[in-house]
Amino acid sequence: MRSRGRLALLALVAVTVAGARPAAAYDFTVGLRTIGQGYQVRRFAADGSNELLSRRRLTQYMDLAVFDLAPSRWRGDDGDRNVLYFDASLRFDSDFGGYMLGRPTGTDEIHELKQSQLDILYAFLGGRNVGGRVDFMLGRQIHFDLVDFFAYDGGAALVHLTRNFAVEAYGGTEVRGELPLSAPIYELDGTSAGSRDPATRADQNSMLRPLAGGAVVAGSDAGPLMARLAYRRVWSATADQQIGEPDSGVNDEKLALTALATWRNRAYVAGGARFNLLLGEFDDEQLLVKLRTFARQWVTLEHAYLAPTFDGDSIWNVFAAGAYRDLRAVYEVGIGPEVKTYARGFIRFFTASGQAGGGSLGAVWRRGRGFLRADGYWEDGYGGRKVGVDASARLGIRRAFEIEGRLTGYEWRADATGDAARSPNDAGVVFGAQAGGRWQLGRGVKLHLLAEDNVGTFYSSAFRGLAVVEVDASL
Amino acid sequence: MKRLATALIVAAAATAGGALAAATGTTTPSALIYPAETIPIAFDHAQHARLGATCEGCHVSAQTSTAAADNLIPREAACRSCHKIDRDLPAKAVAHGQGAARCDACHVDASGKRWMPVEMGTLGGSPTPPAKGPAGQSPSVPTRSAGAAAEPPRVVLARPNLKFNHKLHAARGIACALCHANADMQQAPVTRVDLPMMATCLGCHDGKQATARCSACHLTEPDGRLKTKLLSVATIAAGADGPLVPSGSLRGIDAHGPTFVRDHAVAGREESYCLTCHKRNDCIDCHGGVVRPPDIHPADYVSLHAVDARRNVPDCSACHRTTQSFCVGCHQRTGVGADPEGGLPGRRANNPFGTGTGVKTFHPPGWARDAGGAPITTPRPNSHALAAQRNIRACASCHREESCLACHSADPTRGPTFSPHGPGFGGTARCRFLAARNKRVCLKCHQVGAPELTCD
Repeated sequence: MRSRGRLALLALVAVTVAGARPAAAYDFTVGLRTIGQGYQVRRFAADGSNELLSRRRLTQYMDLAVFDLAPSRWRGDDGDRNVLYFDASLRFDSDFGGYMLGRPTGTDEIHELKQSQLDILYAFLGGRNVGGRVDFMLGRQIHFDLVDFFAYDGGAALVHLTRNFAVEAYGGTEVRGELPLSAPIYELDGTSAGSRDPATRADQNSMLRPLAGGAVVAGSDAGPLMARLAYRRVWSATADQQIGEPDSGVNDEKLALTALATWRNRAYVAGGARFNLLLGEFDDEQLLVKLRTFARQWVTLEHAYLAPTFDGDSIWNVFAAGAYRDLRAVYEVGIGPEVKTYARGFIRFFTASGQAGGGSLGAVWRRGRGFLRADGYWEDGYGGRKVGVDASARLGIRRAFEIEGRLTGYEWRADATGDAARSPNDAGVVFGAQAGGRWQLGRGVKLHLLAEDNVGTFYSSAFRGLAVVEVDASL
Repeated sequence: MKRLATALIVAAAATAGGALAAATGTTTPSALIYPAETIPIAFDHAQHARLGATCEGCHVSAQTSTAAADNLIPREAACRSCHKIDRDLPAKAVAHGQGAARCDACHVDASGKRWMPVEMGTLGGSPTPPAKGPAGQSPSVPTRSAGAAAEPPRVVLARPNLKFNHKLHAARGIACALCHANADMQQAPVTRVDLPMMATCLGCHDGKQATARCSACHLTEPDGRLKTKLLSVATIAAGADGPLVPSGSLRGIDAHGPTFVRDHAVAGREESYCLTCHKRNDCIDCHGGVVRPPDIHPADYVSLHAVDARRNVPDCSACHRTTQSFCVGCHQRTGVGADPEGGLPGRRANNPFGTGTGVKTFHPPGWARDAGGAPITTPRPNSHALAAQRNIRACASCHREESCLACHSADPTRGPTFSPHGPGFGGTARCRFLAARNKRVCLKCHQVGAPELTCD
């Protein structure tokens, strides 16, 4: 009996050993960032009086990434890392200063003011180079291209058909502020859930918005030519559908093409055009030419056209008849390895009428962990005038300690009509000073403190304090 | 006089241009990639090449090296095949035509002066090798005293922040000169400033001949992003001054110059490229962040921002995506957009559209109503129509749709029925596309079944 038991135990051990695989060793990175801010902002009452509101804000970021989720032999085509990973970022933002005290309620409630909010900025399971061809993401994700910034809950897959050709497809539902644990930072603009007028159909904001899209990508990062054609459509069912109303409507539909061409590391041309299928018009066009004239000299010329467009449920798509065109030029030159200077200018033409323009000059001197930067700018035209200078510096005092400072001064004059003589202007002068320090408290732990005070036409003193604690750890 | 002035200006411009070109005309490898090093050796590559020395003959270990951190500078043993070095004879004389065997033939000190052991008296520290006789030697040949402790300055190499496998490249028949061009013509040792730059690598690593993955050469973080925080004592000593950023060699538009933060819209259209180095949170920090970026918004930006918002420079929506949630609440709370919907059914009546508050006037007289309070019927230069056409996003930062519907609805029971469409809107593509894709928006102003909904 004893020997039979031993035999069984040995067999069990043998089977276990034979079936065992190397233990999975997950890699974690954890990032925590706590940001505390306090500042003052002036509030104006309808009776002509005003007061300084103290605003206090606390924000907590929590980032977590986990790697090597798949068995260790799943290392993808390039062999340098495991194909499966998880990436997430959460943000808790709380506004608990005087700004939020006495906030109106009832019919006067300001819907857009939220005191505390927990957002899942993104959280997805990702696959990279699966089978040497496929990248995928499943969960809440954020993307950006010429179509737009956008966030959605769903899935995306990118398939590399050949070395220089890939197709991408995705689908899900748009992330909106109305949903739980959702930040409104990338939702389509133009409809306010705070509207009281029934005609604006504010209830439509609470509807889920399915989203689908895709892209075709040609070229590679190091090749002379690269292009991407992307499409996206967002729609929603009609809330509280009445007789004669459609059962659904499109909130966004765009087709965008971007391309980049390079020539002998000296000339680069990048451009893009976006066609808004909701309105049947191009609403975004860009063309940029960048030339390297000498080793450290760059000249950039850019043309941009932008027509404001909104959520398909917003009436402002009808009102937004105007657009603007920009011409920009930048000249950058490095003088020696430590100094970079630039001159920048732009002019904006409003298609309705009017224009604005301006320029800036600046230089940055960097050495080690320190820098000294000076900028001057001037802008005028529709919207008003602003002229200012800004100087900032950072200096590494010890290995784990840096001090920084900034001096700012500017004069501004705002006008609403483009005709200063007719418009009752707001105008002012501001002088600001910042001082702070950054401490490396330990491996992956940093503390950043900054104090700012401003003096000007509207403030004899307006204090602002910022404290950031960052913790980055790999486990 | 005019000619003289013109000539002076032209001469000054030419001089300044020339000086600028000279100051900016050279580039060296990144100090973050190749940190500071100390190579206290006087070595003439060109002379050795002329004498028939090959790269592989001296740099034997290069053929088997698999890591960029490997020290591939030949050891003394490699030199001994031609230089009959005797450590006990620091100033050893050799016959004419043979390789020098003196210490100071190769070793230099920190200041670049020829090095000899200290006990060699006048020979040590001389800025140039002692005068050579026909046999290439000094007249007297002192011997090294027993117990002399002096050692030549050591070669100190810091680990490059790069992956490189010499063995792999050699096995594929890639000649040394393809990457180390002109090394055999240098009259000095090859130092960090002579090492290949990324443009050289991209000659083959173009995605066709060899992989174009950045991580093939660059060091990476656990999540696969490139390691960019490479500042260290050694990199700072070489002149490094911040994180690793694109120089522009690859795409041009990605060069992180002093205006890149403001002008990266075009470069940022392709997320996969940006995510090579950045986390998604790096985007969110500004594009949806909670802390004012001082390089974009100066001190007390609350006072200034109206100027930028009206002309939309920089583009507010790039970071503050939803004016309808970001701007309205704050404006309403601070009184600069105080309850613009005042007067609507069920709302308090203060601050009717266009009057602003007593302290900060907002819209000028005649913006939406005339002096008698009646809605204006004909757009004027200082009325709201033109501002809305220029940048309606500025309007949306204080107003909700209901502000417009108060006067621009097709429903006469709501108030004035000023059409926002302009003449001929019914036949436009905008009308047809919008009506075909989302008729809900039309029904905010028009009645179900209204003939104008057909866009004819």
